[in-house]
Amino acid sequence: MENILTLMIFLPLVGALLIGIIRSPQASKIISLVFSFVTFLLSLVLLANFDFNKEGFQFVKKINWINSLGISYHVGIDGMALLLIVMTTFLFFCAFVWSWRIEDRVALYHALFLMLETACIGVFSALDFFLFYIFWEGMLIPMYFIIGFWGHERKVYAANKFFIYTFFGSLFLLLGLATIIVYGVVSKGVFTFDYITHLKYIDYPRWIELLAFLLFGIGFAVKVPMWPFHTWLPDAHVEAPTAGSMILAGVLLKMGTFGFVRYSLGLFPEASEFYIPLIFLLSVIAIIYAAMMAIAQTHIKRLIAYSSISHMGIVTLGTFALTEEGINGAIYMMIAHGLSSAALFMGAGFIYDRIHSYEIKNLGGLARYVPVFAVLFMISGLASIGLPGLAGFVAEFLVLLGTYKNHPVWAFIAGTGMILGAAYFLYMYKKVMLEEERISDAVREKWMKLRDVEMHHLIPFVMIIASAFLLGLYPYPFVKIIGHTSQLILGG
Amino acid sequence: MVFNINAVLPELILSAGILLIFFLDLIKERINLSILSLVGFIVCILSALSTFHVRYPASAFFNGFKVGSAELVAKMLIYLVTSLVFLALYDFYKRKGSEYGETIYIILTSALGLSFMLSSTNLAIIFVGLELSSISLYIAIALYRKEYFSKEGAYKYLVMGAISTSMFAIGTAFVYLAIGTMNITSPQGFNPIISLGISFLIFALALKISSVPFHFWTPDAYAGAPTPVTAYIATVPKIGYYFLLAKLTLLLFPSFKEWYILVGVLAVITMFYGNITAYAQKSVKRLFAYSSIAHAGYFLTAFTSTDKFLMTSALFYVFVYSLATLGVFTILSILEKEDGWKNNFEEFKGLFYKRPFLAVNLALFLFALIGIPPMAMFVGKLGIFIGLVSKEMWILGFLFAIASLISAGYYLKLIVYMFLERGEGEIKAPVSVGEMLTLNTCSLLTLIFGIYPKPLFDIILRSI
Repeated sequence: MENILTLMIFLPLVGALLIGIIRSPQASKIISLVFSFVTFLLSLVLLANFDFNKEGFQFVKKINWINSLGISYHVGIDGMALLLIVMTTFLFFCAFVWSWRIEDRVALYHALFLMLETACIGVFSALDFFLFYIFWEGMLIPMYFIIGFWGHERKVYAANKFFIYTFFGSLFLLLGLATIIVYGVVSKGVFTFDYITHLKYIDYPRWIELLAFLLFGIGFAVKVPMWPFHTWLPDAHVEAPTAGSMILAGVLLKMGTFGFVRYSLGLFPEASEFYIPLIFLLSVIAIIYAAMMAIAQTHIKRLIAYSSISHMGIVTLGTFALTEEGINGAIYMMIAHGLSSAALFMGAGFIYDRIHSYEIKNLGGLARYVPVFAVLFMISGLASIGLPGLAGFVAEFLVLLGTYKNHPVWAFIAGTGMILGAAYFLYMYKKVMLEEERISDAVREKWMKLRDVEMHHLIPFVMIIASAFLLGLYPYPFVKIIGHTSQLILGG
Repeated sequence: MVFNINAVLPELILSAGILLIFFLDLIKERINLSILSLVGFIVCILSALSTFHVRYPASAFFNGFKVGSAELVAKMLIYLVTSLVFLALYDFYKRKGSEYGETIYIILTSALGLSFMLSSTNLAIIFVGLELSSISLYIAIALYRKEYFSKEGAYKYLVMGAISTSMFAIGTAFVYLAIGTMNITSPQGFNPIISLGISFLIFALALKISSVPFHFWTPDAYAGAPTPVTAYIATVPKIGYYFLLAKLTLLLFPSFKEWYILVGVLAVITMFYGNITAYAQKSVKRLFAYSSIAHAGYFLTAFTSTDKFLMTSALFYVFVYSLATLGVFTILSILEKEDGWKNNFEEFKGLFYKRPFLAVNLALFLFALIGIPPMAMFVGKLGIFIGLVSKEMWILGFLFAIASLISAGYYLKLIVYMFLERGEGEIKAPVSVGEMLTLNTCSLLTLIFGIYPKPLFDIILRSI
């Protein structure tokens, strides 16, 4: 059982190597579908065997790696990591199904995505700082090429911006890691990169906590992205191919929020409390500012990207509310947003596939021509804005509840920001899907022949929407699993 | 024992090899360069192997020649990288019609000079070794038929090198004045003259490792030299110089209390100047010259303290940096075999579609140079970070981080040209067996030492 996690991390990489050897387009599609599906099944095995009454990390595996630097191969998961891994493998499988029709450099495309999957699962399961950092950076190269190769017009600019921003954050993260590791050596004489050792046996003095929190925080804030580090995200999303956007919004952004919960809260409880006003301020700015920016957008993907920033603000708000409900809600939001934003980007990708435009002014009244898609897109959007019965509602409710307990004013401001969420989506939907009078007769003629969703669109849509309903209607088991993490953090 | 053959075993093999190649070149009018470089390769491998048979610590020549574990490790690394250089060298010269047998033994002589330089604690003998290796380098750069710029580069290097020579000599003289011996030992009591001596020694070595403000020769020498020789001067002498720097830092420099400020300032201006100027380059070869200057700054940060961990990280970093740089210049020398190739950025457009193997390898080295895990350079960078933070040199660590962030941009620029742009025409430049071997060894080792740096790291840590 303890080897499943390792198997899951490296299985996609094996798939990528296999594709590198075979190189046939058709075979690479099948290989990546099979490998990602098996990985997904394995993650379900983890879910089934996870004991959420037992404290601490589970499925732990530890092997010595570089003794003189105190580095080991150490993996294990808690409730949050478990759910994020399940979501990751699920979204990757969806992304591969979605990419069934891709024609440009197929083998390379699938190999890069499989490498990305390895890095993503690795980030969520690493319990050693070095291992964590390797996976954290390891995601940079595949994503860089995914945006750079299969992106739209300004892909090079977007890819470079993405790389430089993320690398900027990572360097601060690295300095932060160096700080706490050196403190471990100086205070206890143990040279170790092990997360659990640091969590349990090393208490940092206040000034180290404050410093390291900032250094870690910059690294995570770029990835989340928090205002004012967010400007890479709209560009990256606009230019990325659909599957790339799905993974970027669904999984990569969660690495930052995951880092906040796992590392910032876990290691620096005192500093977390100290920085609450700062984080709250940035979160609320992100929620409201990004939502307003979203309303002003004319480009569907840019709009969804800003909505992501807004939702990530909710996550950081809940995380630093430092109440059980708040953290539960934040983690719930990570999952809910992962699903709904992936679905929204699939919607945008579908529109682009059919109409070859993301600009709202070129679209209108689509619901008549692609009715099935219109329904799916509507549900995805409702999941995103937090309609009761769908995943987003539970998350937003928990976050507001958790924040209201200790910080009612902040909760109130954030709550008004969430209302804007409904505004931008419905506004966009109205223009793109409903307002038929905006399109000319010639276009209407052309659109009569539009094909509605095909199988490779429908499967991921249905899967994601079904899980959004599951999370929205029956949150109990998920909250229970997430509670495993929040109790670990607040209890310790 | 006055003459200890065992202690000088690697140098003996090297000298014998030099003579052998010299005679082979002399006897036959036009001997095949690939055979000579194969002999050079074998000699290097034999010398590298012979380091395992040296019993240390040992001394020879009336204590003028000393070997310890650090020297042996350094020599082995030097010989190994030199052997890789030989593999990648012959095809380039053949296709450029510049087959001089001298090239082979001159490069060997330079390696010999480096190993003499490393195996002494006497400044005079270090000086001789340093000069032997440098003079060989001037010649190796100039040995390029009908190529004006190689002469210019060599001449510039010679003139600047002469400054370094005189600074080293005068530094030695001051040290002798202060402590009454040329052996590197810490003096009793404080003598202001020694600070002068040590400063001159630092400047002399700073010029050799192309640290700002002594870097002016670097871009011209790098760009002018035949590319396989650039591959050599960018890698092997650097390993030697940094091991020497480590030895001097541990044994001599602390007698000058403020030495670390001097080195720290050099390090900071070097990495920023190198990284920022690199953006202005239009030639890829010059770009890598500036990247090498920037790296000299990174490495120097580690020599601001006598901490062994920090020094090990730097030496590890230097070695894996050499591997990556050797790989880069091998790729450039392969491409240069194409007619009319000027190493301009424009020519790299769409390299991925024309020559995927070369482009992927070059991208690997570029990402390694940026310092992305799992490539080995990351481990070195991490070690230096941790070392600097543990010595409470926050500012230096912070500036190091900023500088490496700046560097990402120009490496990425090349990646963009290779992968994300489409170019016209074809590149037919063939890859010889030797170049293939060097390239694969470099890329594999860059990855392996990144994923499993333990053995190499431990060896260096225990040796110094």
